[in-house]
Amino acid sequence: MIKEEIKRALQNANLAGALTRFSEAYSVSRRKAYEGLDFEEIRDKIASLKAYVAENLNEIIDTFIKSAQENGAKVFYTTKPDEVRKYIIDLAKKNNVKSIVKSKSMATEEIHLNKYLREEGIEVNETDLGEWIIQLAGQRPSHMVLPAIHLTRYDVSEVFTKKVEPIEPDISKMVKFARKHLRRKFLAADMGITGANIAVAETGTLLIFTNEGNARLTMALPKIHVAVVGVEKLVAKFEDIFPIIRALPRSATAQLITSYISFVNKPYTHFDGSQKEFHIILFDNNRSAMAKDPNFKQTFQCIRCASCLNVCPVFRLIGGHVFGKVYTGGIGTILTAWTEGLKASKDIQGLCIQCGNCVKVCPGKIDIPGLILEIRKRLAKEEGLNFKTKVIYSIVNNRKLFHSILKAASKFQKPIEKEGFIRHLPFFLSDLTEGRSLPAISDVPFRDRFKKIIQPKFDKKVIFFAGCLIDFAYPEIGEALVKLLNSAGIEVLFPIEQTCCGAPARYSGVMDVAANNAKQNIEALLTTEADYVISACPTCTVALKKQFTKDLLEQNFNEELIKKAEVLAKKVKDASELINKLIREDKIKFKSTPQESFTYHDPCHLIRSLGIYKEPRESLISAGLNLVEMFESDTCCGMGGSYSLKFPEISKTILKRKLENIKKTEVKLVCTDCPGCVMQIRGGVDKEGLSLQVRHSIEILAERLKKG
Amino acid sequence: MFELFKQKAEAINAEVHYFNSKAEAIDFIKDLIAKNTQGTSTKEVVWHESPFLDGVDKDSLLKEVPQIEFNIDQNSASSAKIGINEVDYGIAETGSIVEISDSIFKRLCSILPEIHIAILPLNRIEPTLEEVMKKIPISKIPYMTIISGPSRTADIERVLTIGVHGPERLLILVVDNL
Repeated sequence: MIKEEIKRALQNANLAGALTRFSEAYSVSRRKAYEGLDFEEIRDKIASLKAYVAENLNEIIDTFIKSAQENGAKVFYTTKPDEVRKYIIDLAKKNNVKSIVKSKSMATEEIHLNKYLREEGIEVNETDLGEWIIQLAGQRPSHMVLPAIHLTRYDVSEVFTKKVEPIEPDISKMVKFARKHLRRKFLAADMGITGANIAVAETGTLLIFTNEGNARLTMALPKIHVAVVGVEKLVAKFEDIFPIIRALPRSATAQLITSYISFVNKPYTHFDGSQKEFHIILFDNNRSAMAKDPNFKQTFQCIRCASCLNVCPVFRLIGGHVFGKVYTGGIGTILTAWTEGLKASKDIQGLCIQCGNCVKVCPGKIDIPGLILEIRKRLAKEEGLNFKTKVIYSIVNNRKLFHSILKAASKFQKPIEKEGFIRHLPFFLSDLTEGRSLPAISDVPFRDRFKKIIQPKFDKKVIFFAGCLIDFAYPEIGEALVKLLNSAGIEVLFPIEQTCCGAPARYSGVMDVAANNAKQNIEALLTTEADYVISACPTCTVALKKQFTKDLLEQNFNEELIKKAEVLAKKVKDASELINKLIREDKIKFKSTPQESFTYHDPCHLIRSLGIYKEPRESLISAGLNLVEMFESDTCCGMGGSYSLKFPEISKTILKRKLENIKKTEVKLVCTDCPGCVMQIRGGVDKEGLSLQVRHSIEILAERLKKG
Repeated sequence: MFELFKQKAEAINAEVHYFNSKAEAIDFIKDLIAKNTQGTSTKEVVWHESPFLDGVDKDSLLKEVPQIEFNIDQNSASSAKIGINEVDYGIAETGSIVEISDSIFKRLCSILPEIHIAILPLNRIEPTLEEVMKKIPISKIPYMTIISGPSRTADIERVLTIGVHGPERLLILVVDNL
């Protein structure tokens, strides 16, 4: 079903167009909004003050209740969604409430409050403009902060005309139209319902951020104000509000501050002379279980800015109608798994391509892809894998069988292969080659070619970990690396027992297989002495350097092996880093060649997991190339390992944008340091018939080596 | 600091005016009311009383500008086009004003009308939000708003549109020598 939803979303030009334009503009204006501030310092503060809340949740809930009650608010704490609904419905009935105005509140959407109120015969009006449009249209929000971003002015005019009264598709007139019509609703309402962005335990204060001013009317005009507040909005101390005030508007909409920040403390005398009623419903719905979970307690660090949606290469194509339930995007997937149960996130968790773009902008420092992977693991454990997947992984765990299948495949593919590419695959596999060509599996893999390379003997040695793509699809990258290292007086060793790094299994949550891959590789790579273990695939580098130890620990392998994993991790370096070091030390020298321009694509794992982006650029420039940066050079190319097999349509659309950005540079050479990105981008270039070279940096550097 | 405040406030579409005295500010208000109301027959202006009005002859002001209503209730506030109140602090770093309201009527002046005129004594401008909050006994006040520019939305096609549910014009009158 999700496949159909994806297809529909991808075909919706309004949605993808609006979201992509927003996401491109957002990255630039967000950066500008944070100018002069130390984002890392701010998010360190937020992460630690919110982590404190998760650690001390019960105590902080008690403090808040006490402070708010002292202020004169009526506070109701509950873990259950139906009790929230019952409380509000009872309160409405008791006070003969006929009509309710609401300002945006995700917590009430989480419990589908509007539907239940309407069933009781109570009129409910959303007052945030975007939410009102969505309500009138009978749709779901497509974005947490911009709920109606998928609708054009013409769509909105149609909705207004049909549901309210005729209005032309003029944005400023439609905004005035909303003011006029909703003002009547505000003045007539008997109850106002809001959420809150921050709840301060120390003082019992609620903080509510809006731009339109609708929350101010919602709180001021009706005689009863009910605030529905998820416990994750709590902070312990009043001073904790400052970093959140700095970050929330900047991260949400790239504003320095929203038009209004309301601080609500005490009920006051209403304008008719009666006492105002002020109710706070503190709402849990499995959040306290989240706070106790060693992995998911991080979720409390979320301030609901939705910046993880805005920078997500997948979200910007398909939006919140596919990617999420009530809560959308990356963080939405995690919240869905907890508020609606693990199973509810089954389809959407797969949409995360694990590029890590959200991690670098999250003001709460949440490892969103890491948590989604954890969901994947738990689902794989709980639900088991389907038969096909099981067969595939049991093969991957048997190195000899896996490698002989890959070799056999190179023979079988002959009829469909042309010039080193597979352009079309038959039947259900055709999706894989629709937007890009696939590389043909090499006749002679690197492991066999290596045996024939005659290397001079050197004292300095490094072990090369090839990984599947270089070994079986692009052995020439491995050969280029040997050439480069030999020129620097280093001998390359290739332990033949090495196998897949385990990434396909790991990123699918199949952890026993991943850990077995780790074990085989550790044993293979530690048999020989060498200064470094290097890999020219950043996904493999990350596996060797960061994942093996974690996986083995998690799968309860013995201490001896875990120690070995740690020894290995210390020796691992990405090739791009070592080569750059050797160039800086003048151990690798280049011949003078005519100037050529190139653009550089940053592989996700290289820039975000390993923090390497300057080094490969510098190496290529020192080899006489001229860098022309592309727009969004660090945005994912859409490969994502097996992601491109699971969601070929999304992968293809992400790739298309990457190609557009490459074309705009007008260069004829794209360099990158990941064979997966090479495969994806080269496949797109071939399919579109562009005259562009896509090369691993190592190959370009090796071609420019000074002879002798 | 006033210059920074003005620059930041204008960047978010507020209108900032400086006055050397109370009298100058009142003249400006009279002029603004004349330009923005239909005539003198209806109460199109609600003005929440504050120390700014100390020493001002309200009766003669009313005679001169009969559009002003000092007795605020829901009806007068919701039918008024202009709301005037005195706000408590300014924040230079963001060009914001801070409105502390013990009374709902002070708040209504900045919530309901299309034009909000905020009177801000010059000596109440502080450099940062943190500095302002040091001066406010937060646990003693019922309600407070940090207001930064007029009300705005970008909910249709992300086109910034000024004036949704709150005021579409925010005028900040910074007055010295009060």
